[in-house]
Amino acid sequence: MPDGADDGKKSYSMGIDLGTTYSCVGIFKDGEVQIIANDQGNRTTPSYVAWTDKERLLGDAAKNQVASNPTNTVFDAKRLIGRTFQDPIVQADLKLWPFRVVSDGSPDDKPLIEVMYQDVAKKFHPEEISSMILTKMKLTAEAFVGQRVRNAVITVPAYFNDSQRQATKDAGEIAGLNVLRIVNEPTAAAIAYGLDTKSKEKKTKSGEKETNILVFDMGGGTFDVSILTITDTVFEVKATAGDPHLGGEDFDNRMLSYCISEFRRKHKSDPTRNQRAIRRLRTQCERAKRQLSTQTSVTIEVDSLHEGQDFNLRLSRAKFEELCMDYFKKAMEPVSQCLGDSGLPKSQISDVVLVGGSTRIPKVQELISSFFNGKQLCKEINPDEAVAYGAAVQAAIVSGTGTEEVENMLLLDVAPLSLGIEMAGGMMQKLIERNSTIPTNKSQDFTTAEDYQDYVEIKVYEGERAMVKDNNYLGKFVLTGIPKTLRGVPKIKVTFNVDSNGILEVTAEDMKTHRKGEIQITNEKGRLSQRDIERMLQDAEAHKEEDDLARGEMMARESITVYMRRTRKALEDIDSEKILKRDRERLEKKMEEVDLWLDEHSNKATKEEFEAKQRELESAMNTIMLKINRSESDFWEQQAILPENEKTIEQGGYFLDSGLDIRDLIEDPD
Amino acid sequence: MPTPDINSEDYYKVLGVERSAADSEIAKAYKKLALKYHPDKNPDNKEKAEEDFKKITEAYEILHDAEKRKNYDQFGKAGIQGGAGGGAGGVSFAEADEIFKAFFGG
Repeated sequence: MPDGADDGKKSYSMGIDLGTTYSCVGIFKDGEVQIIANDQGNRTTPSYVAWTDKERLLGDAAKNQVASNPTNTVFDAKRLIGRTFQDPIVQADLKLWPFRVVSDGSPDDKPLIEVMYQDVAKKFHPEEISSMILTKMKLTAEAFVGQRVRNAVITVPAYFNDSQRQATKDAGEIAGLNVLRIVNEPTAAAIAYGLDTKSKEKKTKSGEKETNILVFDMGGGTFDVSILTITDTVFEVKATAGDPHLGGEDFDNRMLSYCISEFRRKHKSDPTRNQRAIRRLRTQCERAKRQLSTQTSVTIEVDSLHEGQDFNLRLSRAKFEELCMDYFKKAMEPVSQCLGDSGLPKSQISDVVLVGGSTRIPKVQELISSFFNGKQLCKEINPDEAVAYGAAVQAAIVSGTGTEEVENMLLLDVAPLSLGIEMAGGMMQKLIERNSTIPTNKSQDFTTAEDYQDYVEIKVYEGERAMVKDNNYLGKFVLTGIPKTLRGVPKIKVTFNVDSNGILEVTAEDMKTHRKGEIQITNEKGRLSQRDIERMLQDAEAHKEEDDLARGEMMARESITVYMRRTRKALEDIDSEKILKRDRERLEKKMEEVDLWLDEHSNKATKEEFEAKQRELESAMNTIMLKINRSESDFWEQQAILPENEKTIEQGGYFLDSGLDIRDLIEDPD
Repeated sequence: MPTPDINSEDYYKVLGVERSAADSEIAKAYKKLALKYHPDKNPDNKEKAEEDFKKITEAYEILHDAEKRKNYDQFGKAGIQGGAGGGAGGVSFAEADEIFKAFFGG
């Protein structure tokens, strides 16, 4: 298949925010960024993959069945990606996941996720799980533009290290994407902010003003802080800091532990080993957490949670804050560090931009605001979509498919961690300091430590500590064939090169023999080999046919469900004098019939059967619609024309006139 | 203002600013050059652009940092090698090269 640019059609490039708990995709089209709703009409998609007896489910479909299928529903792949099985963070998370994670048993100690699919245990690398989510986002974008989309910018937390970036890029390749760029999430959000402010300032024509902003990005699993200077069209990252493992899920877990202890206390029984109970309780905790951002107290209720006992707990916002206060306070440390690194005083920060769902928490906002001496925070950009928005802009910049305004923009990003090598005595010699603008390279001459030493081993680390043992080991290579001579005589030039994705390549050259050794920190420590990636790519493609079939059914099922919902809504909305009572009853009866049929066949019907059923319903509906006057049919025409994401409630969509998304206000379905 | 010469050994010449230039002028000059030389702006000539971009960025990193700029003004490139902060054991690389040498373990 050609790469998208077939038939003289413009090929699109998408921006994907691959989140720990939710993902979002945007595309630059017709002069602006479109955030794309998935087949369920949602603008963010749960980063979930599940295996049932019959099929693989992605996104909402996977998350919706988690309580009934906890051990085969995988999420949080982003917390595993680029880490080893023995990583203390992985070991701590393991205890909270209902799915199984094992080590691959190799010296690399890669984690593998194990699920049962059609009675066979299957193991997946975190990269593969992420690739499945990326595939889902890709399909969403493709459905929107009506053609193949291969080019993508994928975002990662700014504080992701080299292995995590590499692994994310690999996930993109396994999904069959051409990864144009790995971009830092807060940087992407800053673009969204910058374009938003720019469009507002157009009238005043501000010229070459310099603005410093701080982006506070706290999502479901990761936390970043970045400080940027925006000068006209140039976005320069000054400093970045963060915690790759801090976010909404940690708060959920705190609430979960508290609920479990309350349940134990009341009922003298322990639901910890009951996966289904834990999963149901967790879902309620997540929901309660969201509600506590707008309400001061909530009730967490789960019927028959464990051994027939109901769970019922009133939780105040104050209690929630108390449970999570250490996390909230911890989040302020990177803010200070980032400010210090940037060399800017607090007063020079003109805007604090909030991104990520967890920044909706009032206490978090309060702490940031008081850190900046009561400063008003910028909440104007959509915290769930800003990152994908910026990624889509960057995709347009890099691929040259944007408008002139966009193509004049430039993003200067930085490496988040210092990079260096081990010297005799275990000291870390930094070659690249953290917050260096990328792409960058630095060289340094080194020599041998012993007489007649004919090789050197170059061990590469990232981190800020003085001793390499306290930093993160990335990989090593050996340069051989150094002419034997006294120590200190050979001259070995080591060069670190960090590319635009923030990914490191190291070369060493003996300046006498010009022998060279190099590694892209790739096949070391947890990184998949090229062979692995190719195999997974083949697996993914083999899976595709199977998926396409299942997807055909799913889409047909979804299509009829949506149609039912619309019809029902239309029936409610139509003035009673405009529709004959008989007609109304006939249609209601038909819908009841389809409902029953769906209950019975929903899991086994084929795509064709779903479609046939929908046609039946459509024809019943159309007969009645013909009778209703012209203005009503205009309503249906408008329905067809308006894109899903612009429909107001009256039009069958989700938006209030004020632009507020009602889904933000209501609880999600269990 | 002098024309930038990105191949110059002199950081001021690289950015095309006077030695007396204010920090804001340096930042402005760099951003103008970055728009021209960044690999993203030169998709057909990425490798050359990347090399050029690294040259201007190196100059900017020194001149935009008050401490490093002062050292550079006094001692030239020798004054800033190894960067600030001292690195391992507080030994900066310029010294290490001459006094201690940097040793690899065998």
